[in-house]
Amino acid sequence: MTVIALNELSASFNGRRVLGPLSLEVNAGERVALVGKSGAGKSTLLKLAWEHCGPEIALVPQDLGLVPALSVFHNVYMGRVNQRSSWYNALTLLRPFSKDRQAVGTILKRLSIADKQWSPLASLSGGQRQRVAIARAIYQGAGTLIADEPVSALDGPLADKVMALLNEHFNSYLIALHDVDLALRYCDRIVGVADGMIALDEPSSRLSKADILPLY
Amino acid sequence: MFSFPTVRVSLFFIVIAVGCLLLADLSISAANPWKDLGNFFLGLVTPDFFSYQGLATALLRTLAFAFVGVALGSAVGFLLALAYRWSAVRIFCGTIRAVHELFWALIFLQFFGFHPLTGVLAIAIPYSGIFAKVYSEILDEVDPEPARALPKGTGLISTYLFALLPQCWEQIKTYTAYRLECGLRSSAVLGFVGLPTLGFYLESSFAQGLYSEAGAMLILFYVVIATIPLWLRRQTLPFFLIAAPFCLGEGFPIIWDNVSRFFTEDIIPAPLRHGDGLAGLFDWGADILITEAMPGIWNTLLLTQMALVLTGIIALMTFPLISTQFGRPAGRLGGHVFLVILRSTPEYMLAYILLQVWGPSMLPAVVALALHNGGIIGHLVGRQSSNLSLRADAPRGLNRYGYEIVPRVYRSFLALLFYRWEIIMRETAILGILGIYTLGFFVDSAIQNIQFDRALVLIAITALLNIGIDKLSRVIRRRLALQTLPTC
Amino acid sequence: MLRSLTLHCLLVLTFVFPFSASTLADTFVFTAIPDEDETRLVERFQGVADYLSEQLDVDVRYIPVKSYAAAVTAFRNNQVQLAWFGGLSGVQARRLVPGSEALAQGLEDQAFETYFIAHRNTGLSESDALQEDLRDRTFTFGSKGSTSGRLMPEHFVREHFEAAPEEVFSRVGFSGNHTRTLRLVEAGTFEVGALNFQVWEKELADGNIDTEAVSVIWRTPSYPDYQWTVRGDVDERFGAGFKDRVRQALLDLDDPELLASFPRTRFIPAENADYEPIRVVAEQIGILD
Repeated sequence: MTVIALNELSASFNGRRVLGPLSLEVNAGERVALVGKSGAGKSTLLKLAWEHCGPEIALVPQDLGLVPALSVFHNVYMGRVNQRSSWYNALTLLRPFSKDRQAVGTILKRLSIADKQWSPLASLSGGQRQRVAIARAIYQGAGTLIADEPVSALDGPLADKVMALLNEHFNSYLIALHDVDLALRYCDRIVGVADGMIALDEPSSRLSKADILPLY
Repeated sequence: MFSFPTVRVSLFFIVIAVGCLLLADLSISAANPWKDLGNFFLGLVTPDFFSYQGLATALLRTLAFAFVGVALGSAVGFLLALAYRWSAVRIFCGTIRAVHELFWALIFLQFFGFHPLTGVLAIAIPYSGIFAKVYSEILDEVDPEPARALPKGTGLISTYLFALLPQCWEQIKTYTAYRLECGLRSSAVLGFVGLPTLGFYLESSFAQGLYSEAGAMLILFYVVIATIPLWLRRQTLPFFLIAAPFCLGEGFPIIWDNVSRFFTEDIIPAPLRHGDGLAGLFDWGADILITEAMPGIWNTLLLTQMALVLTGIIALMTFPLISTQFGRPAGRLGGHVFLVILRSTPEYMLAYILLQVWGPSMLPAVVALALHNGGIIGHLVGRQSSNLSLRADAPRGLNRYGYEIVPRVYRSFLALLFYRWEIIMRETAILGILGIYTLGFFVDSAIQNIQFDRALVLIAITALLNIGIDKLSRVIRRRLALQTLPTC
Repeated sequence: MLRSLTLHCLLVLTFVFPFSASTLADTFVFTAIPDEDETRLVERFQGVADYLSEQLDVDVRYIPVKSYAAAVTAFRNNQVQLAWFGGLSGVQARRLVPGSEALAQGLEDQAFETYFIAHRNTGLSESDALQEDLRDRTFTFGSKGSTSGRLMPEHFVREHFEAAPEEVFSRVGFSGNHTRTLRLVEAGTFEVGALNFQVWEKELADGNIDTEAVSVIWRTPSYPDYQWTVRGDVDERFGAGFKDRVRQALLDLDDPELLASFPRTRFIPAENADYEPIRVVAEQIGILD
């Protein structure tokens, strides 16, 4: 079963084609890393992929899509606003229910930012914000994830920890990563993008760092 | 110099205004204009707070009408803002805000009479049109990414609650609070047509030359407006909102027959009511157009253009009073007080005062409009100029003004001025009620003669004129690439 | 904290205080055209309200309004049931409310006059007719809806000069009421004005006029003016015969102080037909459709 499927899709910007036409499928249980130098079309590809997916999918966009005026809790809670009624959401905005607090708190703890649960997002650093966006994706509880450089602002050990957590919560994903080591370590399959086209598509078991570096 | 489009546009408007000066009647006809003005200022410095016991009630009513009107307007305006992308909604909002609060009040007085609803709706209706426009502009500025990152299938309400509103909540709050200040002014002015707010008593006191009594009312009004940040807090707001509807006074019950009569008889053009047919309707319309609308439009335009340029001059002259680039802190405090007084005094009241002391001509109206609007723009430009950082060896005094400051603030100054163009015109039309021959004069005459059909036609013409100026102002601002925040 | 607490208490007090409401359903409400300074009107008509309340045995309340039209509209909308109208506003009101009746008028109202007054700088003096010298002067009426302050003076000006006031005078203003017309001409803001002769005589008697600065230059022929007008449906609401009781109470009014405040000698019966001449003039001028 495929969870993400792009079929002969392309994208243009200001009349200039920046992506495709290309096809890409991600099957259930497949963890895919998207690699390539910046400007190669990874973000565009991820956007297209997101638009062509069903509802059961979580997203960490490049700019994170967080609301600076709300607390960390509410930003994470947003992962489930579609599963709750409007009045429940409105009440949560005023005063969160305790079971939601616990659920969100557990995820934040795993991401080492439990102490920030009630801080306004605007007071967080870039790395902390990135983890909030990840927490929101995890809290959503979907099996599949699309993420654009979700650990770019995290240092080595923390990036490892977060990638492990993603592997734990999502059995399939498509993640753009600039860190080739991380990609090889955590993903089953590597897709390389160059000049808007797919230049490489191999299981990671068959690749080494040297195979990927020419893409950069 | 003349190669700058902003300078060319400014000169063009100045030339028009000078042309208007030649055509307009600007004489001071009072025999002792300065003596009366002196008496008025004497009244301001010798206020008599205890002469009139209804003062507290009048102030309470002024606050209550402002709160209920602005709250209702902002709630309805918000809903309209959500649908603002439909042109029907935009046109509707443009129309209701093109009609001045006082005209709305005059309309509602005809069938609701002295019921509190008259005052509440007179504020709420035009304000909801303004709120809709500004809220929708604020919402358009919001970063759309968080809404896109929401899980698929999120409902509209939850999207607004979580992804859109929190991002612009501060702006919406600031603007709404600012509007409340405008609402207080509107509410006070409604008294001039008979609602039980401050204007009612101010008018009586002025008319009878009781300047100390009037002075006391004005001072109280300034204090209420200047202390808004002290008493309007998040904790107190719910209390005010709940209490306000109960403080409107009871007025008189609505008689619904009057309402239906107004819509089915009063506003039907007289020739149709009397069965004179289309020919009669044509003569009737032509008569209104030639004897009332045309002179009214002409005078409204003359007055508006003169007031606009004088507003600009006053703003440029007064902004250094509060700018940290000039003068000393003590002087600036005086400047602040001066500008607060200018902008808190509704132009309608200023015009009324000046008309009393100088006699009837366009002069009092031009000066009133320019003082009030110049005070508002001067305040905003002054604040902006304080944020400029100049090189350490920048010139001082007049050279600093001419070489360093004015060139840097001129664009935003022009943006504010053109933004207020339509507001000045709306007020100009209204000042006709005071006896200057602008459109409001003919509207008032029609109402005094119980000819609501005529009044409504003239109000509609006034609204169209306002909408036209609003469009023109927007074209000019776009051409010159001027941006501004809304003011009232 | 303490400051905000006191502020709260003060606010609560100001909000609760005005809640001493009275019911309006069975209150007999009347108004009057605002032809003079408001303080004086409130004094005068509060006295009338007290008197009527005593005579009629119902709650009677006077409400002040800001314009002649507002008085007519309140009457038309049944928010007031009785009104002290001028000639013109009475005709307007009775046309709009079928069944309404002129009840009583002042003795002087049968033959009312308008005085044209001028500032001394004009050099005008009293004469038997309107003078050619009035041309191109600045001129003020009273309220737009006033009989003695606008309708009749405009009528006589049109009759004499065969032109609209705007063409005769260099500037035409509407002061708002008679007292203000007097003050504006006295101050020289307008050179000439027209006002209710009773207001002039009363102010003169009270010593409120600077006779050095302003004087009467022409007295108009007489015409019917002020009257009390009542709605036709008051009997239904306040009981049979109520209208007649109101009329009787007005005719019986003999408190010299109250009468002097109008100023009228006494009230005499009036009927709608008395004001026919006013209607004709109003239609000629175009104030009535």
